[in-house]
Amino acid sequence: MAETATQEFLHNLHELPHTVKDACFRLGKTPESEREESQATFHNLFLHIHSVRVHLRTLKPTLTFGLGLMATASFVITLITGVLLMVYYKPSTDLAYQSIKDIHFTVSTGRFIRNIHRWSAQLMVLTVLLHMARVFFTASYKKPREFNWLVGLGLLVITLALSFTGYLLPWDQLAYWAITIGSNIANSPRELTDAIGMTKLFDPGGLQKRLLLGANYVGQDALIRFYVLHVFILPLALVTMLGVHFWRIRKDGGLAKPEDPPGGLAEWGGEKRLVFQPLATKTYGLMALVKGKRPPVNRGPENTVMSWPHLFWAELSVFMVTVAGTLVLSFYSDAPLKELANPAIPENPAKAPWYFLGIQELVSYSAFTGGLLIPVIVVVGLALIPFLDRRPGGEGTWFGTSRERSIFWQSLFFAVAVTVGMLAFTVNHGWLRNWFPNIHQLWIIAINPGSLLVLIFAAWSLFTLKRNDSVRLAAVSLFTCFLVGFTLLTYFATVHRGPNWHFYWWPSQWPVH
Amino acid sequence: MNDPSRIYRWLLLVASLVTIIYLVSAAVHENYLAQWKTVQREYLTILQQKATDDRGRELLAKFRVEMKQASIPALGTVDRCVTCHNGIDDPRMTDVPQPHRTHPGHILDKHPVDRFGCTVCHHGQGAALTFNEAKAEDVFWDYPLLPPNMTEATCVTCHDAEKLPPDQIPLLVVGMKLYQEKSCGSCHKLGGRGGTLGPALDNEGAKSKHQLIMTNLKPPHTTWSWQNAHFRDPGGVVPGSLMRNPTVTRPETLALTVYMLSQWKRDVPESYLAPDKIEQKYRALHPTPLTGEQVYRQYCTACHGNGAYTRWDKKFNRFIPAIRGVSLVSTASRDYLQANIEQGRPGTQMPAWGPHAGGLLPEEITGVIEYLRSGATAAAPAPALTLHGDAGNGLSLFLRNCAGCHGMNGRGGMAPEIGNPVFQQAAPDEFIIRTIRNGRVGTAMPAFQRPDAPALGDQDIADVLAYLRTLDSHRGQKAIAQNTVTAAPSGGKP
Amino acid sequence: MSRLDPPPLNRRSFLSLASLGSFFAALGTAAAGMLRLPNPAVLPGPVRRFKLGPPEQFSAGSETPFAEQNLVLFRDDEGFYAISSTCTHLGCTVARSKDGFACPCHGSRFDSKGSVIGGPAPRPLPWLEVSRAANGELIVNADNEVPEGTRYRV
Repeated sequence: MAETATQEFLHNLHELPHTVKDACFRLGKTPESEREESQATFHNLFLHIHSVRVHLRTLKPTLTFGLGLMATASFVITLITGVLLMVYYKPSTDLAYQSIKDIHFTVSTGRFIRNIHRWSAQLMVLTVLLHMARVFFTASYKKPREFNWLVGLGLLVITLALSFTGYLLPWDQLAYWAITIGSNIANSPRELTDAIGMTKLFDPGGLQKRLLLGANYVGQDALIRFYVLHVFILPLALVTMLGVHFWRIRKDGGLAKPEDPPGGLAEWGGEKRLVFQPLATKTYGLMALVKGKRPPVNRGPENTVMSWPHLFWAELSVFMVTVAGTLVLSFYSDAPLKELANPAIPENPAKAPWYFLGIQELVSYSAFTGGLLIPVIVVVGLALIPFLDRRPGGEGTWFGTSRERSIFWQSLFFAVAVTVGMLAFTVNHGWLRNWFPNIHQLWIIAINPGSLLVLIFAAWSLFTLKRNDSVRLAAVSLFTCFLVGFTLLTYFATVHRGPNWHFYWWPSQWPVH
Repeated sequence: MNDPSRIYRWLLLVASLVTIIYLVSAAVHENYLAQWKTVQREYLTILQQKATDDRGRELLAKFRVEMKQASIPALGTVDRCVTCHNGIDDPRMTDVPQPHRTHPGHILDKHPVDRFGCTVCHHGQGAALTFNEAKAEDVFWDYPLLPPNMTEATCVTCHDAEKLPPDQIPLLVVGMKLYQEKSCGSCHKLGGRGGTLGPALDNEGAKSKHQLIMTNLKPPHTTWSWQNAHFRDPGGVVPGSLMRNPTVTRPETLALTVYMLSQWKRDVPESYLAPDKIEQKYRALHPTPLTGEQVYRQYCTACHGNGAYTRWDKKFNRFIPAIRGVSLVSTASRDYLQANIEQGRPGTQMPAWGPHAGGLLPEEITGVIEYLRSGATAAAPAPALTLHGDAGNGLSLFLRNCAGCHGMNGRGGMAPEIGNPVFQQAAPDEFIIRTIRNGRVGTAMPAFQRPDAPALGDQDIADVLAYLRTLDSHRGQKAIAQNTVTAAPSGGKP
Repeated sequence: MSRLDPPPLNRRSFLSLASLGSFFAALGTAAAGMLRLPNPAVLPGPVRRFKLGPPEQFSAGSETPFAEQNLVLFRDDEGFYAISSTCTHLGCTVARSKDGFACPCHGSRFDSKGSVIGGPAPRPLPWLEVSRAANGELIVNADNEVPEGTRYRV
């Protein structure tokens, strides 16, 4: 070895491009064997949360419709566009509105970026809700996935909170009045404490409002609080919980799916598949530590394929479909921006974002019941589902157990009839206050169209439980009723409620004011 | 089909292509199709046509196609109007089409765009870069672009209208005069002076269209079209409005509209105020009293007319007394008139006009009393009435002779409310006795002791008086409450 | 090694390449758009083309400092010229000294025509473009430098 240090140094210098490349891209080429494909997956921080192989059933588009991924993709889009908007947005009551106007008028592609942010946020709410429905109707919350169902519910709440906090930031009329209403919903326990005369002793409503606004009114302090929540605390919480959510999917054995039939042929492709052969070079011992099913070694037909590239094609395409959809919406439809916030003139009607309009309809009966009690009952009810319905069966299949589908349709028609009937009755005849003007507020808190709907739905679910002797079917009926109620109330408040929260057939009939 | 991810690859391809297409269209839309760029390119060709001398060539060479703005932090405005109105301060551009034309008049000499911007005078959305958004009639913006003939309304932001050359503010001058002539102050407060039947008008120009009832108005729904229509037919625009039709011609309507638009207590830095504006603000704090006649014309005639006759008012549903009628002013003492003017007449539409209510100065109230009494002969002292009245008999006499017009308990009907506290305290016995005896000429109040047919004897009158004096105590509170209700403003948004 | 998957996936198929290529192209387009975003079409604050008033306002031989605009306007027999009072070293505002300009931050010194006579400044104080607006007022464009010695004749 005559190589001197100088020669070695020069040699290394010469090799620099290769060595740097090898260090950054360890595989250095497109994986060609399964071994390399699995390395591509688990040597990469972003991919290693996936298993190396993925079941063919979970790759089928109709199992999930990619809803969870779409929600994630919309979140990524809001995150990127949100950071871009932060470059120009000024969280001050004097400057916020003007800065949004500047984003519209002078920032290159600023209006487009804001549209994307707004649309992907809406898409995120929608896909999160649909994703939850998918998980429910494919019974994918059952053991061992109860915890992930809870995490998902937390993500739903954070998603809604992100939307709500973002609503205030433009500081226009819509923002100001929607948040005024929202913060007074937080204040609404006073309706109850006032009615029983104990507000002076114990005032949770006032405390909630104060924590939210930092003042008695929506002003600079509220704006800063909402801003910090919107750009820091909530996204951080969401990212953290999203990590847990994904990690749990892996730990719980991937997406929920039914047992493979023992022996026989694979369902896909109609061709015979080989039986899985463990390779000498790879240890499967670690898999014993992972909950869920063991790989069907030497046991059944091989119904899995390598995650690289199949799963990643699927994920990439769902991401891109989300991006494309958002772009198309944003190109044709501008995010609304009303006049500068004016505390002297209430916006009429002051409507919250669409996904809160169902709650706003309930709030028009009783702020406390509709704004807090029923949402809390709904969230708690959703959280309890996997713990009350514990009998396995039907996982990973749409309406997996018998009669689920028919119970779903029955409940759908029942809930539509009840909700429409209740709304029609309320619009035509009013409610307790119209009939007995001096009635005590406690009666209205307890008995209003919203609380009656909840009671009727619960009764229907108990009836299903009795008649069919199945907890799962009772859960299906209750969840369907919830979905229908949410959808119809949202639709009703969006389309049929106008100025002064009066009923109108179409928004075009609203009086000019 | 053996490849489970084939469909996803197709999906990825399509989605990516759609993404590229829309990203590129957005970029093209923003960079090449922007309205202002087209306008500036047009202006460039105009500059080329006009580059006939050295100066022209110099200006052409200096012109760049770029976004321009006047940023005025002191006024809180960023006006990008000059992005399209490039020739605004170029005297050569008088013969080119808008938006390239020179600003008319010599206004920019004293109001350079760099210091004042555009929207402080013209309103509109200065930040916008398309004409539609800048005009802002159909977009969400509180103050759309004022029509050119109404722009003078904003001069008073920094100027005292009375010190401006009248030919610069032709409509405003007429509007100001009409406001006084039509006695708008009888019902509306302006600068702390005026009646309370209608809403105060101090910030009428600052209102956005959302504060006005547009239901009965054809589009466009702008504040000035509302004002215009409202001056022509108040009740047609605001159903149930008490405001009477001011009976003005169309040009006068426009003038009043401009005057209303000019009512805006807008905060601008002192460095922007003309010296006369500062003087005007000082004068508002230390007003010079008007003469009695001026006060009467500005603050009384809308209801009382020339004051010689009582008349029935359909909207108020009651008689409006003849306050300059001979029999009243010869009967009523100065104190009685003063109390009625300063404290108003609860239960009627007559508001209080004292310094803390209607804003009239003590001198002005004295002056207007003089004006009311002018021409009347001094009242001869009433013959003393020493008889002791019996309220019980007075009640039956009242029910027979008075309640028909003055209402049960004197709560008023067609005739004034004589049970209310201000009347009770302000009217001395002598005044009441004299009125009952002689009646009120020019009103429906008859004389009850005409020499030919005395309906009431002295004792009867004493009884009625005794009864009237019992009304004060238990009627007071309710009457005041009623007065507050009827005087509620009625023009704004409900 | 036996392939357990459905046989050859033909990874380099046209479809794979096209979809992956278009994906990266879309990403690139988006990134290009996003990189433009931090650069607004018009900067906030006053335009840096300052109208200083009609030329008659400044007599020959005068020297008028404009503190807000960070420049000094001179008029001599040959015409107008404007010198920026922003130090070419690291951007502090220079002060008028006996022999010219002096920078308080790192001790750069310039003569009265802006040439460096001491300190770390790498180049002379810029001469700014003087011209006249359409309405006849003098305009100094603080974004445009002209060679030293350039005068603007009215």
